[in-house]
Amino acid sequence: MSTISWITVRGLFGRRRFLLLLPLPVVLVLLAVLSRALGVDPGEWGPPVLVGLGLAVVLPVVALIVGTGVLGAEIDDGTVVHILTKPLPRWQIVLPKLAVATGVTAVTVAVPLYVAGVLADSVRLGLSLAAASAVGALAYSALFVALSLLTRRPVLLGLVYVLIWEGLLGNVVSGTKVLSIQQYVISLADRMSPTGLLEAGVSVPVAAVMAALISVGFTVLAIDRLRSFSAAGETS
Amino acid sequence: MTTISADQVAGTPTAASTLDLAGVSRWYGNVVAVNDVSMSLGPGVTGLLGPNGAGKTTLLHMMAGFLAPSRGAVSLDGRPTWRNPEVYRRLGLVSEREAVHTFLTAYEFVLASAKLHRLPDPTEAAHRAIALVELEGAQDRRIGTYSKGMRQRARVAAALVHEPQVLLLDEPFNGMDPRQRLHMMELLHRLGDAGRTILFSSHILEEVEQVSGTVQVMVAGRLAASGDFRTIRRLMTNRPHVFAVHSTDDRALAVALMAEASVTGVELGRAGLTVRAGDYGAFTRVLPKIALAEGIRVRQLVPEDESLESVFSYLVEA
Amino acid sequence: MPEPTGVIHDIGYQRYTGPRLGRRAVFGALYLHGLRTAFGLGRSAKAKIFPWLVVAIVTVVAAGLAAVRSQVGETVMTYAQFADNMSWLVIFFVAVVAPELVSRDLRSGVLPLYFSRPLPRSDYPLAKLLALATALWLLLGAPQLVMFLGAAFTTGDGMGGVWNELLDLLPGLLYAGLWAVIFASVGLLVASLTGKRAFAAGGIVAVFLMTTPIVGTLSIMPSRTVNELAGLASPSTLVQGVGVWSLGELLVSEDRGGGDHIGDFGPVYALAAVLLVAGCVALLLLRYRKVAAR
Repeated sequence: MSTISWITVRGLFGRRRFLLLLPLPVVLVLLAVLSRALGVDPGEWGPPVLVGLGLAVVLPVVALIVGTGVLGAEIDDGTVVHILTKPLPRWQIVLPKLAVATGVTAVTVAVPLYVAGVLADSVRLGLSLAAASAVGALAYSALFVALSLLTRRPVLLGLVYVLIWEGLLGNVVSGTKVLSIQQYVISLADRMSPTGLLEAGVSVPVAAVMAALISVGFTVLAIDRLRSFSAAGETS
Repeated sequence: MTTISADQVAGTPTAASTLDLAGVSRWYGNVVAVNDVSMSLGPGVTGLLGPNGAGKTTLLHMMAGFLAPSRGAVSLDGRPTWRNPEVYRRLGLVSEREAVHTFLTAYEFVLASAKLHRLPDPTEAAHRAIALVELEGAQDRRIGTYSKGMRQRARVAAALVHEPQVLLLDEPFNGMDPRQRLHMMELLHRLGDAGRTILFSSHILEEVEQVSGTVQVMVAGRLAASGDFRTIRRLMTNRPHVFAVHSTDDRALAVALMAEASVTGVELGRAGLTVRAGDYGAFTRVLPKIALAEGIRVRQLVPEDESLESVFSYLVEA
Repeated sequence: MPEPTGVIHDIGYQRYTGPRLGRRAVFGALYLHGLRTAFGLGRSAKAKIFPWLVVAIVTVVAAGLAAVRSQVGETVMTYAQFADNMSWLVIFFVAVVAPELVSRDLRSGVLPLYFSRPLPRSDYPLAKLLALATALWLLLGAPQLVMFLGAAFTTGDGMGGVWNELLDLLPGLLYAGLWAVIFASVGLLVASLTGKRAFAAGGIVAVFLMTTPIVGTLSIMPSRTVNELAGLASPSTLVQGVGVWSLGELLVSEDRGGGDHIGDFGPVYALAAVLLVAGCVALLLLRYRKVAAR
C-alpha cells in the first residue's frame, strides 16, 4: 500500500466519525431481512429498499462522507500541506486517495446491497447491484474528491447534487437523469439482471459512457486543481 | 539504537541553493498583500521580519509554491516553485498553521514524510530527523497528545527529513517555551552555518536578532529593507545614531565632542555620556582622535539603538 | 542615570456603571443573531449562497403554483401539500443552517465565552432552537403567503373568496410550524454533536433521508397496524400523520381521501411528535451541560 493511501486510511478510520457510516448499511440489511422474514412480496419491498434506500441514500451519502473525507478534511484542517510538500507528481496523490474513497464506499455499500439483492430476488441480482454500486462509488468519489478541491464547502455542494439535482429534479424533470449517477447505477444493475424491480431511467450505453466520463473527467480535474493548490489564509 | 549526532544532519549539503524573487506581487481583489518584492536568498539564516499583516505568510507561501504570484516570478535555482512539485526535493516548509496528522505518532509521521520523499533509507532518515529536534522520548506517542512546541518540532523534523537545501519556516517560535526556543535557534544556526538556506518569519524582533544578522524587512506588503541589520541602521543617515560613552572624564569629553560637526548632541548623565551623531562613520573615526588629544581614556563605546527593535521602528515609521 | 519612572495615562477608559440588561435581553440577542445567521444576514456573500438558494427555489415554486392557479384555475397543491413536497429542501436547509448555528461555536471554542455571561446554560441551545424553528417556519410560511396572495387577488368570489382562502392558509401555516419545530429539534441535536460543519451537514441528511425508506418498507408489511404506525419512523411522515389527525379536513383535499393511512392512531402520532421534540430538547440541554463541564 502506498504511503498516501496508508495515511488516508488511517485518517478515515482513526477518527470516531467513521462510525457515522455504520447505521446506513445496517438499516438496509435489517429492512431486507425483515421484509423477507415476514414474506412480503419482493416486488413491493424491493424498490423502496434497494433503490429508495440503497441506491438513492446509502450510496451517495456514504460516498459523500468518505469522498470529501479523504482530501477535503485534510484541506480543511491544513494537514494537506505535509503531503503537498513532497516531490510527487500530483496524480500520485489524487489516485491513491480516490482509490481509498472508492474502495471504502464500494465495500460499505456493495455488501449490504448484495445481501438485500439476494434476499429480494437472486444471487445474480445481488451481484449486479454490488457491481453497479461499485461503479457508482467510483463516479461519486471522483465527483466529491474534485468538489473538495473546487470549493471550500464540498459537503454542502455535494448535498445540493444528491438532494436537489438527483433527488428532487430527477423525479420532476426527466432530462436531469442524463446527469444523474444514481440513474446510471440503476440502469447498469438492471442490464446485468433484468428483474423488473429496478426501473431504468437512462439507456445502458448512456449510463456506461457517462459514468466513465464523469469518473475520468473529475479525476483529471482534481489532479489539475491539486497542481494549482493555493494555501488560503483563515477564512470564514 | 545508535545515537546520531545532530551535526551529522546539519552536515554539508550537496550544493548551495538560491531562492530568487523577481518583482513578485500578489493581490487578492483590491488588497495588495505583497507589492513588488525582489530578493535573493543564499546560504545562511535570514529573518523575514514585519508586523502582523505585512505579507510575510503570503510571501512564504509563494516561495514554497503554495500560491501563484499575481505578477513576477519565484524560482529555486532557476526553476519556478509554482506548479512544480520537483522543487520539494530541495525545499522544506514548516507552515504557520499547526496542523498535523494528530492520529499518527511522531515517528510514523516523519517516516511517512521520508517515504514520500522516496529516500533510500527512510527509517534511518526518520530517526535522524527526530534526533535532530530531540523528540526521541516522545516519538511513539500520538501527536494529538503533544504540546504546541512538541508539535512544532515534529513538523520541523518532517520538513528536515530529506535534508533540504532550503528550509522555510513561518513563525517557527510560536508557542514554544524559552528552552525549546533556544534549542530551535541553535538548530537554525547550525543548519545555516552548514551552508543551508534558512528563512524564517517572525514579528518578534528579539527572536530574529538572536538567530540571524541578515534580515528582510517587510512593511505593508513591501520589502522595506534587506541585508545585515546593523548596516541597514547605518544607512539611515537622516536619523541620529545614539552611543553610550563611558570614559575617565566624561565632562571634558563632552565639551570636546560638541565641537565636532558629526555630533548633534551630547547628554551628560550619571552613568556616562549619551552622544547623538548624525554621521556614523565620521563620529567613530573622530572619537579616538579626540580622546587621544584630550588625554581621556574611553572605557566603553556602545551603539545604543542598534537593536533590531529600533531599526525596525525606524523603518515602520518612515 | 535618572530614576526609572512610570505613569499610566488617563485616556478616558471608564467602567460601565449603568443598568445591565438581563437574561431576556441576552436570550433575545442570541435568538436574533441565530435567525440572522440562518439566512446569512450580516455575514459574507458566501454565507448567503446556500440559504438563499433554498429560499429562491421555494419562492419560485410557490409563485409558479400561484400563477397556474390564477391562469388555469386548478389547484396543483394545497398549502399543506406544499410543505410536504418541499421536504427535501427543508432537509437541505436544516443541513446548511443547523451546523452554522451550533457547530461553528463548538469548533472555535467560544462556548466558555457565552457561558461566562449571565446566561443560564439552557438558554443557549433554546435560543438557537427557537431561531432555527423560526427560520424554517419562515421558509415554509412565506411561500404559502405568496400562494395566498396570488389566489386572493385572482379569486372570483370577492371578499368571501379571500376569506375562504385565508381559512385555508391559516392551518397551512400552523402545519408549517409543526414541520419547523420537529425538523429544528432533530437537526440541531445532530449538529450539536460535532464541531465540523461538513460532518454535521452529512449527519443531518443521513438521519432524515435514511428514515424515509424505512417508512416505505414498513408500510407494505403484511400487518395493518404496522402499516398505520409506519409513519412514526420518519420525521416527515410523523409530521404528516399529526397534520392529518389534527387538522384533518382542512389539510387533506377531499378527492385524495387521505387520512385512512394512519387509521385511528392519530393521537399516537401526536404523542410521538411531542415525545420526539421533548426528547431532542432534553438531549440538547444535556449536551450543553457536558460541553461546559469539559
